[in-house]
Amino acid sequence: MTFREKSAWIMCLALLVVGTVYFYLVGVTWSESGELAQPMLPLVVIYTICLVVLAVIGHIVIAIMAPKEANAQADERERQIIVRAGHYSSYVLAVGVVLSLGLYLFLRDGDLLFYTIFASLMAGQIAEYMLQITLYRTAI
Amino acid sequence: MARRSKISNRVRELRIQHGSMTQAELGEAIGVTRQTVIAIEQNRYSPSLESAFRIARVFRVGLEDVFSWEE
Repeated sequence: MTFREKSAWIMCLALLVVGTVYFYLVGVTWSESGELAQPMLPLVVIYTICLVVLAVIGHIVIAIMAPKEANAQADERERQIIVRAGHYSSYVLAVGVVLSLGLYLFLRDGDLLFYTIFASLMAGQIAEYMLQITLYRTAI
Repeated sequence: MARRSKISNRVRELRIQHGSMTQAELGEAIGVTRQTVIAIEQNRYSPSLESAFRIARVFRVGLEDVFSWEE
């Protein structure tokens, strides 16, 4: 497994873990109060810090395991994989954003718009890393 | 299911003929990772023209001695 594939695994897992915890907390608040909680800046800041910390720790570990690979630039196949994964994952983000905007037009709920856009952003990122992993393992 | 390229190659064969050069050694010589060399050998990835020339140069053969087009 190349350094970049390991990196994609780390980012994918970190996003899944942090994203799941974030939306679990939002869901718990929703079920307790009966209405969707307003998006809170501290929660978003904590989300970002946790994601960065997990990503940094993960990358330090894989860089220690293979320091030479960690310092090397992406080769031609890896660059193609990164570009292709980014291209296809942009559709996931676009679909999420369009659906979110459609939902807003019907429900006029700004808080829900924030959460659905945030979820789309996360889904787009997760899709990008999952596609990278798939392409690393199949033909390109 | 992995899509196979129409371009086949003799990289593995030439590598073995060339003093059992490892995939990592070939990768280092042409500036790609070992995994990319594996993908080339398994016809899962068609290298760029530049890398193809580099591979041929490492083995001191012509481009068509390494790569061929399967109809």
